[in-house]
Amino acid sequence: MPRLKSATDLETRRQEILARRDPDKPCVTICSGTGCHAYGSEKVAQTFAAEINKNGLKEKVDIRRTGCHGYCERGTIVVIFPQEICYLRVKPEDVPEIIETTLTKGEVVERLLYEGEDAQRIIHEGDIPFYKHQSRIVFGPNRFIDPKSIDDYIARGGYAALAKVLSGMTPEAVLAEVKKANLRGRGGGGFPAGMKWETTRNAPGEPKYVIVNADEGDPGAYMDRSLLEGNPHSVLEGLTIGAYAIGASQGFVYVRQEYPLAVENLNVALEQARDYGLLGENILGSGFDFDVMVHRGAGAFVSGESSALMTAIEGRVGEPRPKYIRTAVSGIWGKPSNLNNVETWATVPLIIDKGADWFSSIGTKGSKGTKIFSLVGKVNNTGLVEVPMGMTLREIIYDIGGGIPQGRKFKAVQTGGPSGGVIPESLIDTPVDFDELTKVGSMMGSGGMIVMDEDNCMVDVARYFLNFLSEESCGQCVPCREGIYQMLKILNRICAGQGRSGDIELLEEIAEVVRDASLCALGATAPNPVLSTIKYFRDEYKAHVEEKRCPAGVCKELISYYIDPEKCQACLLCLRNCPVEAITGGKNLIHVIDQDKCTKCSACFEVCPTRFGAVVKLSGVPVPEPVSTGTEVKRKRGGKSE
Amino acid sequence: MAKRKTKSTFIGLKVTSEQAETLAQLQKALNSPTKTAVLLRGLELLASSSLPPTPPAQPTPRAAPQIATSLELSQIEAEARHYLNALAQTRNRSEEVMKQMVQELAKVDQTVDKYHGDRNYLIQILLDIQRENRWLPRDALIWISQKLDIPLSQIYHIATFYKAFSLVPQGRHSVSVCTGTACHVRGAPRLLEKVTDTLKIRPGETSSDLRFSLSTVNCLGCCALGPVMVVDEEYHSNPAIEEMEKIFSACE
Repeated sequence: MPRLKSATDLETRRQEILARRDPDKPCVTICSGTGCHAYGSEKVAQTFAAEINKNGLKEKVDIRRTGCHGYCERGTIVVIFPQEICYLRVKPEDVPEIIETTLTKGEVVERLLYEGEDAQRIIHEGDIPFYKHQSRIVFGPNRFIDPKSIDDYIARGGYAALAKVLSGMTPEAVLAEVKKANLRGRGGGGFPAGMKWETTRNAPGEPKYVIVNADEGDPGAYMDRSLLEGNPHSVLEGLTIGAYAIGASQGFVYVRQEYPLAVENLNVALEQARDYGLLGENILGSGFDFDVMVHRGAGAFVSGESSALMTAIEGRVGEPRPKYIRTAVSGIWGKPSNLNNVETWATVPLIIDKGADWFSSIGTKGSKGTKIFSLVGKVNNTGLVEVPMGMTLREIIYDIGGGIPQGRKFKAVQTGGPSGGVIPESLIDTPVDFDELTKVGSMMGSGGMIVMDEDNCMVDVARYFLNFLSEESCGQCVPCREGIYQMLKILNRICAGQGRSGDIELLEEIAEVVRDASLCALGATAPNPVLSTIKYFRDEYKAHVEEKRCPAGVCKELISYYIDPEKCQACLLCLRNCPVEAITGGKNLIHVIDQDKCTKCSACFEVCPTRFGAVVKLSGVPVPEPVSTGTEVKRKRGGKSE
Repeated sequence: MAKRKTKSTFIGLKVTSEQAETLAQLQKALNSPTKTAVLLRGLELLASSSLPPTPPAQPTPRAAPQIATSLELSQIEAEARHYLNALAQTRNRSEEVMKQMVQELAKVDQTVDKYHGDRNYLIQILLDIQRENRWLPRDALIWISQKLDIPLSQIYHIATFYKAFSLVPQGRHSVSVCTGTACHVRGAPRLLEKVTDTLKIRPGETSSDLRFSLSTVNCLGCCALGPVMVVDEEYHSNPAIEEMEKIFSACE
């Protein structure tokens, strides 16, 4: 492939690619993101290839394996173009029917379509409520692009922003545009990207470096992964534009080795970009040189912190350092280094392409553009969603997420990962906005949004995050290392029913010290999960400490399982499923749990048919005396006892 | 990069001039044409001197595997077993084993060369070795320390800091349970309990027959399936006990 030597070359190449493609030719796109991969999209794709061959359609139909579409709840997702027929939950055995009905006869397979509230079937992906309320400007192209094909990206206007920059804009003009757009860092802090770029640009010292932070460590967040896996060129294009504005000739992508597909697709993308002359020396004939190196992270949450990440790139242990001097001034090998998150970089080409005015017309006063969230937990439509800043949590959870499963009651939503906090139902109308979320004691974070219902215990959630953080603290500074550990110890004893009066106040006191005295952001934000749960759910803490009761029925030491003798139908299900043989009873005999043997594994509770509902969770009350062994059941139906 | 005075190298190892002389003499004394043969002889001497004079330890009959008393103990045990096996093999067919060791180290050399021997790539080199062996053998770390002129302590600092590295052999099948937040609120702790009960090992441990290694991970990016267990890259959404037993028994 000859290198592209100018912006005109790029446009010519784009026209060639489009000319080779027939827009009316059927194309089967199969989502191959991580979620769909886990559902077995690999087999679906193979079956499509085999069946299309078998039916002699090989010349007539294209197959494209795309990145994540976002609607992970209904994977594997298959969309057939040009009609944009969207099939959900496709299994390999559905493939022959799709080929026969849709590709051969041109009709739709009703049963694989989305079913709306009034049993109405929805054909087009964009009409499904999950997608309808989103603005997928950054994440949207994922579903059209084969991440391993640079031509797919170019065909959709990819690298045009880079061409525009290199053929007619000065670095200062690029910087001014990004500053005007008020793009704030998507990695969590929300620091204005343009200001950071400018600091690095003006800092003394050469060479300068630009870095993509793809060390997405928040448990429950996977948007950066899906973007890097599904559309790696958009990140590279943004990075190259940034490098030009800053005056860097070397870039790094720090990506977790736990994301093998992201590493693979990124490496393919780098090779292709070099072949096309979009990376390397004299990019598009502009005289600008730039190349990118991939550094695989070996698995440490704290290495996602900017100074730690840069130390890791140098080949040393990724531990943070005090940032009296910002990494923008002294980063990798002491040189000015600008680090931004995956999503931030992927947004840059859009700003250049469509202009800062367009970008800043989306969003709120302080937060512009859109943000991708991973909407997970107790929500009907699990998946990745991209919404304009300013949308309320309620709209995201109910309109897009479809509410809470099984008609349970919404309790809280956790944003910002281990650095964030929980937001209770009373504040569900809070808009997603960097400043608004901070105001309610949480933060934007990288975009995890974990929905919780009434069955989730807030003390347990706080304990979960502190447990995570205590393992991930690098241990350099005392407040973080010891403070988190002590808070965890207190939370552990509260959950174990050994909470003491004054524990809650002690937690608040330690939290304050950890927040104020820690070396890096990991420690400084570590108290957030504790403080926000105490702030909004103090009563729940009190119930644990004072009444030894877990209202949500989660904390094992505070609950007991009991079989209601009035409701037990002696179906033997729980008895057979108990792993420790703690349940006695028999045919027609009321089942009884031996509380001394019971390990509270909840197996009986889960298997007891809902129409009986005989197994109950008790907390904070004594377990009633069991009925004497051998008592026969009272049958519900027929009213007679046998 | 700090430059230490090295007069010579020996199969890629930097040696001082005195060491080089001793090695040359040894080569002469052995009447051996290659440096590798010298290394083999050296390793052989080392192995025979560190082996107990008694016959190899008879295999100790083991009771049904129990949940190990502590993580540390089980790790020490796993590593000790590895070296015991290696030593026993060394005794029986020393030459073959020596060759194997040299081959293994040659493979390490290849990895180091892939990164042009640049010490900035230490983490990347270790990641490649970890993937190749499923753990970081001590001899490989010593070898790298010599080749890249990095103190062994610094390499251990990295190898113990990051979660991707293991200093003990890992099982043939990897079982991971996602404990990301989404999986946690959907019942990951209970799933993990079921897995530990079934496999009789805890997170971070390897079964004594080296069949399974169990770990917990933070978010696999398939939250819609949560809570999730992954066995050798196959995803299983909240499997019931019977299903789980079926999955595990299919692993040899």
